[in-house]
Amino acid sequence: MDQVREGGGAVSDLLGTFSDGFARRALLEAVMVGGLCGVVGVHVLLRRLPFFTMALGHATFPGVVLAALLGVNLFLGATLFGAVVVVVVALLGARERVDETSAIGVTLSGAFALGVLLLSAQAGFSRDLAAYLVGSIVTVQRGDLVTTAVAGAAVLGVLAVLHKELVLGAFDRGGLAALGYPVLALDVAMLLLVEVTLVTSIPAVGTILAVALIVAPAAAARLWTERLGATMAVAAGLGIASGVIGLAVSQHWRVAAGATIALVAAGVFAVSLLAAPRHGLLARVRARRQPAAAAGPG
Amino acid sequence: MTELLVEPFRLPYMQRALLEVLLLGALAGVVGVFVVLRRLAFVSDALTHTIFPGVVIAHLLDRSLLLGALAFGVLTAVLLTGITSSSRRVGADAALAILLTSFFSLGVVLVSRTRTYTADLTVFLFGRVLAVDRADLLQTLALAAVVAGTLWALRKELVLRAFDPDGAAAMGYRTAALDLVLNLLIALVVVAAVKAVGTVLVVALIVVPAAAARLLADRVATTAVLACALGALGGWLGLAASYEVSVDHGVRLASGATIVVVLVALFALAAAAAPLRRRRRGPGNPRGVARWIRSARAAAR
Repeated sequence: MDQVREGGGAVSDLLGTFSDGFARRALLEAVMVGGLCGVVGVHVLLRRLPFFTMALGHATFPGVVLAALLGVNLFLGATLFGAVVVVVVALLGARERVDETSAIGVTLSGAFALGVLLLSAQAGFSRDLAAYLVGSIVTVQRGDLVTTAVAGAAVLGVLAVLHKELVLGAFDRGGLAALGYPVLALDVAMLLLVEVTLVTSIPAVGTILAVALIVAPAAAARLWTERLGATMAVAAGLGIASGVIGLAVSQHWRVAAGATIALVAAGVFAVSLLAAPRHGLLARVRARRQPAAAAGPG
Repeated sequence: MTELLVEPFRLPYMQRALLEVLLLGALAGVVGVFVVLRRLAFVSDALTHTIFPGVVIAHLLDRSLLLGALAFGVLTAVLLTGITSSSRRVGADAALAILLTSFFSLGVVLVSRTRTYTADLTVFLFGRVLAVDRADLLQTLALAAVVAGTLWALRKELVLRAFDPDGAAAMGYRTAALDLVLNLLIALVVVAAVKAVGTVLVVALIVVPAAAARLLADRVATTAVLACALGALGGWLGLAASYEVSVDHGVRLASGATIVVVLVALFALAAAAAPLRRRRRGPGNPRGVARWIRSARAAAR
């Protein structure tokens, strides 16, 4: 690596930070989580689920604490508790007087408070909690990598198999039902996929910042392309890029890794918002100045 | 019973904590009514996270935390109002999520440079209501007066905006300005509450009492009074419960989280009581997941 360092330049310097074993593991985790979140994020945006994703991120917390107390697998605890929360939100939101945003708000804060309560009864309160919220990718273990790879492959596999049905469900639920598909089962499947993705990302970026990695690359990709397949590919690419660049920057300047990844993802989105060819702000301003050159009416 | 509910508050620090929690519960309850009416729960959640970098920067520069939080609260309120009224391709909720996470990450990156990283983060996230002092109380009182006064002055306009945005616009009200005012008020409540209950649990203080009150009352004024009362009651019971369990049973319970759990229990009671009160039910207008379930049920038939 010395030769690379001597070669100078910021890029090779940043790459040089990946020479250690733990850094290589972190890099692999960032690539896998970034790609997975990017693809799932496109579905999250299609179905307008960002707040739900955020809530789910908080709501899996008591599951993690309970699992830690009982000595069960943390992933299992988080996933099971998240599934409970999915059901509670759905049931509450189905009531006439509680709109879904409020239902999510109540469930989010209730579940999260429960987690804090459980944890505060234990010792070693603040450290674990901070790691859970903002992640700690540099301490990712071999086991975490395997879990991420398996869970990621499973999620992407299900998404590929059910692609047509899930997309149709996001755009035209009536049509999906008319074609005889089990709409409710597909909806629950989608929510569970989001949940598994979140739980998988928690060791790397933590619960709050996983939302950034799910929403930002997908929102940026939607600005660059119109077609869904292309959007997913671009989102995955942007997710991976955010993960790798964020990790490198955080290693170089010694700041929190998860948060840096989230910031890079937001930066990618901001650039896209400005510069994207058709939907970017610059393009829109230009189109307004030259109405004749603009494509389409308005 | 009185022993449980009154006895702990003979200690001066418990009295201050109680006063703070009652003030905040009532204040957040009233603002929460508008948050629930306008479906702004996500906006309040976003605000609780976006003031984090303000607090960190103020901490690093050794300035008043309140001012830092206030500055970022105002900045967010302005950005939020701009985002929700402009970008169509991105979608308001996606923009909100990105704003929330990027501001929060900025705070985490800044705080990760300090040595007491995790401890600072924890205080900010969960608050320390037992450490509230006289100056904090006065600040809360001042912010509460500003928020309550503004709400009272603009109550008609804000209610009209909530139920009939087109009507409000047609009558010549500037809806964008009203939205900005409401976002600013939410920001003020978040800032006021952050030291006591912490950022993550402020959302509970705002949303849960108001959502419970809305289950029990029809008129906006009644809902507001009820939300106020429920917020204060939850604060009192939660504080007493956390004290009782921590002191007499030796299990440490975080006071902010206990308050929220009590509030959610009150909400569950309200949800159980609501159908008894309300036999007649219309079709309603559920959204999102609930709508999926309803349409799926309808399709199955």
